Amino acid sequence: MPFDLHFIARLIPALIEGAEVTVELAILTFAICLVWGLIVALANSTRGPLSWFAGAYVQIVRNTPLLIQMYIVYFGFSMAGFGLSGFASGLLALCIQNGGYVAEIYRGGLQAVSTRQYEAGRALGMRRWTLYTVVIIPQVVARIVPPMTNQAISITKDTSQVAAIAVMDMMKVAQVWVESSANTYDVFLGVAIIYLVLTSVASVAGKLFERRLAFAQ
Amino acid sequence: MLEVADVSKRFGTLEVLRGVSLSVAPGEVVVVIGPSGSGKTTLLRCINLLEDYERGTVTVDGDPIGYRLDRRAGQRVRMSEREIAAARENVGMVFQSFNLFPHMNALQNVMAAPVRVKGIPRARAEARARELLTMVGLSDKVAEYPVRLSGGQQQRVAIARALAMDPKIMLFDEVTSALDPELVGEVLAAMQQLARAGMTMVVVTHEMSFARDIADRIVFMDDGLVVEQGKPDQLLFSPATDRVRAFLKRYNDRYRI
Amino acid sequence: MKEFAPLLHGYWYLLRGAGMTLLMAGAAILPATACGILLAMAQVFGNRFARSAVVGYLFIVRGIPLLVLLTFTYYLLPLTGIDLPPFWGVVLVMALYYAAFMSEVFRAGILSLPQGQWDAARSLGMTRRLMLQIVIFPQALRLASPPFVSLCANLVKATSLVSIVGLWELTMASREIVERTLAPFQIFLGAAAIYFCICYTLALYGRYLESRVLHGH
Ligand SMILES: Nc1ncnc2c1ncn2[C@@H]1O[C@H](COP(=O)(O)OP(=O)(O)OP(=O)(O)O)[C@@H](O)[C@H]1O
Ligand SMILES: [Mg+2]
Repeated sequence: MPFDLHFIARLIPALIEGAEVTVELAILTFAICLVWGLIVALANSTRGPLSWFAGAYVQIVRNTPLLIQMYIVYFGFSMAGFGLSGFASGLLALCIQNGGYVAEIYRGGLQAVSTRQYEAGRALGMRRWTLYTVVIIPQVVARIVPPMTNQAISITKDTSQVAAIAVMDMMKVAQVWVESSANTYDVFLGVAIIYLVLTSVASVAGKLFERRLAFAQ
Repeated sequence: MLEVADVSKRFGTLEVLRGVSLSVAPGEVVVVIGPSGSGKTTLLRCINLLEDYERGTVTVDGDPIGYRLDRRAGQRVRMSEREIAAARENVGMVFQSFNLFPHMNALQNVMAAPVRVKGIPRARAEARARELLTMVGLSDKVAEYPVRLSGGQQQRVAIARALAMDPKIMLFDEVTSALDPELVGEVLAAMQQLARAGMTMVVVTHEMSFARDIADRIVFMDDGLVVEQGKPDQLLFSPATDRVRAFLKRYNDRYRI
Repeated sequence: MKEFAPLLHGYWYLLRGAGMTLLMAGAAILPATACGILLAMAQVFGNRFARSAVVGYLFIVRGIPLLVLLTFTYYLLPLTGIDLPPFWGVVLVMALYYAAFMSEVFRAGILSLPQGQWDAARSLGMTRRLMLQIVIFPQALRLASPPFVSLCANLVKATSLVSIVGLWELTMASREIVERTLAPFQIFLGAAAIYFCICYTLALYGRYLESRVLHGH
């Protein structure tokens, strides 16, 4: 029976509890990836073996499924003797994979600033620090905000896969409720709407940030 | 041949054309000059209905392009897309930025419309395309793709492409402005040749000496209006209005060495 | 090397799983591409109603995790009385899901053509249909081909999610072997290697297409 109000009244708090885990995972992943991705991107832009490793890392994590990465971390590591909790495994796998994507976004942003901008800065007598803080980084930031916003949305959706390693995120809560009740429609609508709200928040935040940058320039 | 009657066009609140009328006789070459932003490009685009416009009509040999007058209602009605497309076959247009199709070689660029729009048999269209490319001096470049051609060569392909539709009239919008100075001559020569062969042409250009050579009549536009028109020597050397005089003075000051 | 003995016993089973993965991905890519092109056309050329319908569709699909949709298709399909084998059920969902992303790629391809191409085609008397057929589509598809290929790689990775709703493919096959051999690290690594081979091949092909787009003919 769809739209059973008593059922919904019990469902919503449970979903929200799951959503807290989802949000926590998404924010942690995004924050860590902003740093980790930058490290990988910088390593990638050096010359020598470090760049090779960074490049290989990016290709490997981007071309294998997140779910398999989670299984390797969750089941594989525990067999190897250093087991992590579901949450920690999920977070680690999310960061490993999305770090690769975020690194590529940084790289794209850096490449999009033409060498002429560097030359123009040097021609004006700027030192390295001034050149980067005044000329290069503002342009890179302006370029990477839209793809970073997309990545944040994508991370939010990706967190649902931790349900497969027994983390009680919103997806897992929904699975449990669907299996223990007949109100499939209610659960589905509830989960879908909450995910839509979460991703919309990410998208609107990105838009606002983008607009502030546009005014600042 | 070409009748532009009282055409008005605005972009938002900006009135770009304010009732422009212009008639061009068969075989006549009309050169349009005027300051930047005066509406020359917009006029040519309206003639071909690349832009919609709010008032006025355009006809070629009496056939309307874009809007026809509904006599009973006393109103202008927009023709159907199919009718407009058919009407555009009579008007060839060459653009400042060439606009060749980058995924087709020179020959394919010239043949595409005759074959696909007019349904001319491939063999005949190809023979004609080769003839036209030879006429503009590109017989050795038929198989090249646009990226491998110089700007001047690309523009000459574009001229051949427009001619391949056997238009009744040709419109040229600053076709040499995007070219390096040493490439301008070859394009102008192709246009000269076309004019001599009796093609009806409307040419927007900033090349005054070329305008003088090729024009039967020069039209001066400013601020969305035709301000003055006349024989080249008369308009260029003894203009009747101050605005033309001021424009020519600025032009001469800029290009005097 | 002895640690990888379980992989040697299971590799044939894994390869069969990979075959299923490819089959599933292929079956989803075809309709996803067709729908993606239709959606892009509706968004670029459609009337206001068609455009807002597409925008709404994209909003929903971009905001909900694929796993949510797959899980609920699994539970909802029987309820709606549609008699669809699970394989075709998930293929349908994946196709509709990826159609949204494909439409973005094709739309970007169409919109990135310079105005001059439309002007030139129209001034030659081409009708809209002919113009799309011989001028716009050939160029737009070429521009769209590199991101299209990386979306396909993405779709291949996403097929791993169907194992969560109980369908058999590479990830499910690897989980089955893990249950028998208790060697998760090796087996999942093996599965990851197979995914990598598929997706990295696609990525390389995408990069090749991109270099062709950048350097013209
Ligand atoms: N698509 C458009 N949207 C808004 N305004 C436009 C558009 N196209 C042209 N304009 C404006 O219309 C006016 C006339 O432009 P137009 O291109 O016709 O001038 P022009 O005489 O060809 O100038 P130029 O010699 O520089 O080519 C200009 O003020 C221009 O800014
Ligand atoms: Mg102009």
